[in-house]
Amino acid sequence: MDQLALIERLIHIVGPNGVFHRPSDLIVYEYDGSVDGAVETARPSAVTLPTTTEQVAEIVRLARDINLPVVARGAGTGLSGGAVAQQGGIIIALTRMNRILDIDPIDRTALVEPGVINLELSEATLPSGFFFAPDPSSQRACTIGGNVAENSGGPHCLKYGVTTNHILGLEVVFPDGRVGWVGGHAPGGAGYDLTAALVGSEGLLGIVTKALVRLTPTPEATTVMLGAFPTVEEASMAVTRIIGAGILPAALEMMDALTIKAVEPQYHAGYPMDAAAVLLIEIDGITEDVRSTEAEIEQICRESGATTVRIATTKSERDLLWKGRKMALAAMGRLSPNYYLHDTVVPRTKLPGTLSRVSEISTDFGLEIANVFHAGDGNLHPLILFDRHKPGDVERVLGSSKEIINYCVEIGGALSGEHGIGTEKRDYITKVFSSDDLAAMAGLKNAFDPTSYFNPDKFFPRGYMCGEVRALRSQAMAQKYGIYPL
Amino acid sequence: MASTHSKLVASTPIIDGLMPAKVVTPADPQELASILARAAQEGQAVAPIGGGTSLALGNVPERLDLAVSLANISGVISYEPTDLTLSVWAGSRFDEINKILAENGQTLPIDVAFSDRATIGGRIATGIAGPRRSGSPTLRDLLIGVSAAHSSGTVTKAGGMVVKNVTGFDLMRVYLGSLGTLGVVLSANLKVLPVGRRDITVSGTFSNLEKAIEVAGKIRESRVRAVALEVFRSASDWSVAARIEGRETTVQLLADETAQTLEGDVESFEGEASESWWNVFSEKEAPTTNGEDVVLRCSTRPRCGHGLLKKLSIALEEFGGTVDHVSWAPVIGTTTLRCSFNDDENPRSKFLALRDGAMAAAENVTVLAAPPEWKAGMDIWGATPETIDVMRALKEQFDPARILNPGRFVGGI
Repeated sequence: MDQLALIERLIHIVGPNGVFHRPSDLIVYEYDGSVDGAVETARPSAVTLPTTTEQVAEIVRLARDINLPVVARGAGTGLSGGAVAQQGGIIIALTRMNRILDIDPIDRTALVEPGVINLELSEATLPSGFFFAPDPSSQRACTIGGNVAENSGGPHCLKYGVTTNHILGLEVVFPDGRVGWVGGHAPGGAGYDLTAALVGSEGLLGIVTKALVRLTPTPEATTVMLGAFPTVEEASMAVTRIIGAGILPAALEMMDALTIKAVEPQYHAGYPMDAAAVLLIEIDGITEDVRSTEAEIEQICRESGATTVRIATTKSERDLLWKGRKMALAAMGRLSPNYYLHDTVVPRTKLPGTLSRVSEISTDFGLEIANVFHAGDGNLHPLILFDRHKPGDVERVLGSSKEIINYCVEIGGALSGEHGIGTEKRDYITKVFSSDDLAAMAGLKNAFDPTSYFNPDKFFPRGYMCGEVRALRSQAMAQKYGIYPL
Repeated sequence: MASTHSKLVASTPIIDGLMPAKVVTPADPQELASILARAAQEGQAVAPIGGGTSLALGNVPERLDLAVSLANISGVISYEPTDLTLSVWAGSRFDEINKILAENGQTLPIDVAFSDRATIGGRIATGIAGPRRSGSPTLRDLLIGVSAAHSSGTVTKAGGMVVKNVTGFDLMRVYLGSLGTLGVVLSANLKVLPVGRRDITVSGTFSNLEKAIEVAGKIRESRVRAVALEVFRSASDWSVAARIEGRETTVQLLADETAQTLEGDVESFEGEASESWWNVFSEKEAPTTNGEDVVLRCSTRPRCGHGLLKKLSIALEEFGGTVDHVSWAPVIGTTTLRCSFNDDENPRSKFLALRDGAMAAAENVTVLAAPPEWKAGMDIWGATPETIDVMRALKEQFDPARILNPGRFVGGI
């Protein structure tokens, strides 16, 4: 089918306002939130903006019939290239499917379309006394559908869990063009947990057209504490002691001196400029618990060497402390024209060693690296500062990034805590998974999408899919046991 | 690897009256994987066996040739108390796991019936969650990594040893509750938690179900976030029990508040007494049968759950059998029922009538346990999911020779 005929067919499905196909319209869809240069860009044949599930299914069936790749897209805030149409094809942008269909305070659920913005869902449910717990830093822009695709986290996932812990059911358009539900209101549905398989599958298995999400009751009391430390090690020690004392804060975030230097002059969050590290500790729950926990955390921080401990109890004080953390990325503009935000995870107790290694890498590559991260769960976010117009900078960023990944994997960490693999880290995947491990994951992919046209060229190493997987499994079995599966 | 005090399976496991021709107890994961590959080659049906506490769960096996015991694949692989992570071999029993964690003031906060026999691998296979699912993480939330042997003879892993991870597809949760039909889980990486500093259960009894439901609703809506909350039948009355854990002073405070909501005569159990009270409760809801018992799990959305419970309680008044246990979890919506029909002349038809009645009122009904001859020809998992094609395709990918627990899973997978 030629381009003209394709556009006509798409317009027939979603109407003339629902299809972008001019080069000037497509250019913005060549990117997502990933760093230019670190993740490849690619131009789709067309971008569609359906408003109903049936339209999504029709587009999928059309793409299947004419053998074009399909890439689902939310707000495009992802940081691993997941929403880029790597092999061209049709982008299905779900931002116009943005209705909150139901809020049920008795069941404590909300039924939403995938284009609903994360923060707007919490804002809509707050009057009923509930919130949607996953809160990625991009929550003002990112969509629930995108959160499902990436299994997004956020600062509060330390206590409340990541997206997968809050998804009860999904309406899905499958690669064969059919529409079906997985999961649902009542736990105990029969069969494999396909809901879990879909959450975090980066658009490789299906397109979510409705999500039934769990709502969490708003806590009775919330406190945010700030602890400032003369060294990163002492701050890390405080983190270990807090967790070791059996306290589970709602959030436990750390920022290093470079981050403070970027944030404080601009946002006046009250972070001491002479601190090597600050901890933001949020605790919530019933009032009596929060009060007694505050006192215990203050003592732990002081015993660990904190020079300042502050407790914010009013909403405006809390918001100010959080503002510095939430605006940290934006503030990096003060220090450098570009940054590359990394996302790796290490066992929490290995944080101090990892930070030392990051600091060495910073020196080795001559690049400043700021650290702002979810200390409670060991999820690092080194921010590598660079200038993409400076010759060699992008290469040095990628080189330093490789070193950081290698180190984290060596000490038992993971490639990504919440940003996904996408194209950014697909070539690193063999560092953590063997060919057999990948074959099992490809088995899951094949069960949903045997022709591999949903978000191709993502997650698996370059050129891995396309029927090789079945061959690989067959080969492994044939070599070992002379068995040839169907 | 094998802990020296792992018990070998004492007798040949019998699944729904079927006895395997052979029981093997591989010494390590590689041997187990080779056994599976050989079985695939020879078309032998395999049942993986953990502690054998939940063998009643599942459809009647299509065939059964070989039982593979995980008894020798047990013990701790690594435990990092300060990271709150634990990695264990699948054959590890819960009493062993709990003992090691308790030494460090930590716990895997899930209800386990028969913890002196039940294994983590078996629990992953069944995926059953107990009363704590109402207010505490379930195994689904705590399982961060897994390794499994497949019928291809390969051993694969997914997830990792960190508490937050989006590297790769979430096969952990796909295996959880899959009854070993995609692979035999060999090891599990788990997020563990500090033990609650105090644990109190309060329970009150009411002369009618309406009142019990109303009080449970009040507790659910209160600021007390009970880790377990159940409405259940005790003798001819109805009771409400709430389990409260947390920091010392507040647990007492919240227990007192709950006791006030419960009104009247309130029983209270603390610490080990609370733990063992809920153990007994969990055992009643476990997928076990003495050859006469039936265990049904009826799922509804929470807002409809009390309606189902009322209908069930009326049906039970009429059915004339012995009701051992009925409970409803208001936060989750699930009703669990254990009863027997031993007095009746045609018990199977009564059982089917009860199940059909429950099916009509619930979103799904799972027969967790029943006498084998009653299960024949039945899909105990209830309504066939609309995505059964995807599930069959998944099975085809992972176990094309259909040797792993054939027929026992949903839709005869």
